[in-house]
Amino acid sequence: MVEFAGYDMPIWYTSTMEEHMAVRNRAGIFDVSHMGRVDVTGPDAARFMESLFPTGIGKQPNGKSVYTLLLDEDAGIIDDLIVLKVDEGKYLLVVNAASKEKDLRHMERIGAGLDFKLDDITEDTTMIAVQGPSAVEALQPLTPFPLGEMKRFTHGFSTVKGIRTVITRTGYTGEDGFEIIVHDVGSGAVAVWEALMKGATPCALGARDSLRLEAGLPLYGSDMDEATNPLEADLGWVISKDKQSYVGWQRLTSLMQQAPARIRRGIVMDEGIPRHGFKVTDKGREEIGVVTSGTFSPVLKRGIAMGYVKTPSPQMGDTVMVVVRGAPSNGKIAKFPVYDDSLYGWKRKTHQQ
Amino acid sequence: MSDPSPYQIPDGLFYTKEHEWARVTGDTARVGITDYAAKTLNDIVYLTLPSAGKEVRQLASFGTVESIKAVSELYAPLSGTVTKTNDGLTNHPELINQSPYETGWIIELKHSRLEEEKRALMSPRQYEEFLKSLDA
Repeated sequence: MVEFAGYDMPIWYTSTMEEHMAVRNRAGIFDVSHMGRVDVTGPDAARFMESLFPTGIGKQPNGKSVYTLLLDEDAGIIDDLIVLKVDEGKYLLVVNAASKEKDLRHMERIGAGLDFKLDDITEDTTMIAVQGPSAVEALQPLTPFPLGEMKRFTHGFSTVKGIRTVITRTGYTGEDGFEIIVHDVGSGAVAVWEALMKGATPCALGARDSLRLEAGLPLYGSDMDEATNPLEADLGWVISKDKQSYVGWQRLTSLMQQAPARIRRGIVMDEGIPRHGFKVTDKGREEIGVVTSGTFSPVLKRGIAMGYVKTPSPQMGDTVMVVVRGAPSNGKIAKFPVYDDSLYGWKRKTHQQ
Repeated sequence: MSDPSPYQIPDGLFYTKEHEWARVTGDTARVGITDYAAKTLNDIVYLTLPSAGKEVRQLASFGTVESIKAVSELYAPLSGTVTKTNDGLTNHPELINQSPYETGWIIELKHSRLEEEKRALMSPRQYEEFLKSLDA
C-alpha cells in the first residue's frame, strides 16, 4: 500500500503485468474513489462554466462528458478534469485528488458574484472504473442502463445493483469503458465492486499508471502543472477557437501566435527503462528535454516515456537518447498511443472474447 | 510459537539486509535476490548486470533490477570477481519472480574474502527474524 493524496491505495493486487494485460485483453476494475467529485448547480452555473474553461461546455448537449483544463490567468494548468454536463443548470466535475482543494479555491474566486453552488460530494460517493474491451459485458448484468447504446464521452443516470449511480463512458487507460459514481460509501459500494469482479480483474495504481502511459494520457503533477501551458502539453485540442473571455484566454491568444518552446512527446526505447527526471538528448548528446513519466510497457515489452523536448522538436521516428543513470540509451520519438490501435485500445477493429 | 514465514528462505544460503542471497560452492558464490524481494518488487521486467571479469565489493551495488514501477539496486553479498551472469534473464527476467533461488539466479562470482565477510551476512533463521522485524 502507498499513501496517495491522503488515501491508502495498493500498487497491485496480484501483479501489475497481469492487471495491465487483463484491461488490454478483457476488462479490469479500478477503485478510483480518491478522485474529487464536485457538483456545480444554480442559475448561473452555465455562465460560470463558460468563464472557467477553454472548452465550450455550453454548446455541448446535455449528457456529454468533456475532458478539459482549469487554467490560471497565465494559462498555466491548475488541473485536468472531466466535466459532465447534466443540463444547463447542473454539472459534475471529476478532478484530481491532490488538486481538489486548490480547484475549489480557484473556482470560488473566479465565480465570485455569480449565483451557483459548489458541492464536494467526494466523501458521499465512491467511484469505480470498468475498463477494457469487455467492459460492457462486465457492467451490463448489474444495470438496466443500455450501455451498448452509449457513445464515448457521454453519461447517464441509472442504478448499479440497485444503487443510484452516474455512468460515464470515459476512462484513463486508452480502452473502451466506464467510470461509475456510486451513491454509497458502505456495503452497497463493496457489493458493486464484488459483483464486477465476476467479469473483470481488480487493478491497482501500478497498472493504472502503465495503462495511461501507453495510451499517452498525461498525469497531473508529473507531466504538467501550473508552469505548463496547454499548447506545450500538446492539449491544444481542448481549446475552443471561437471562445473567449475565459480565465487564461488572453494569455493563450498571445501564446498561440508562435510555436511553443517545448512540447510533450512520447518516446519508445530500444533498451532501458526511462523514469521521471531522466534527461533526453539528441543523437549528438546535446540535452533537448526531460522525461516526466516513464515505465515498462507490458504491450511493447520495452521502456516507454512521456516528456518534454524543445522545439523545433524531433519528428516522429527520430532517434533520441534518454540518459538512464548516466548511460545514454537509444529511443525513438513515438506517437501516442504507443501500441497498435487496430489491436488495442477503444479504436480496435475486433475483439476476441 | 511463531507463524512460519510466508516467504521461502532456503537453508544453506547467506542473506543480506538488502535481500540478496549467496550460495557458496567451493570458491564460487551464486547470487540472487530473495523471494521476499521478488514478491515485493512485483513483476521484474529489466536488469542491468556487470559483465564477467568485473570486480564487486561486498554490499556495494553491482547492478539494478527494475519492476514496471521502480528501480532497485543490487548489492553484492560478497566481494569478488564476476565469472558469469544468468543469460536466461535477458529475455525472461520474470524467472526471478518464478524461481528466485534456482533458475532466477543473477550472477556468479569468485569470492575473495569469504571468511571475514560472511560475518556480515545473515543465516536463514536470522533473515527470517529480520523479515518479521520489517513487518512489525
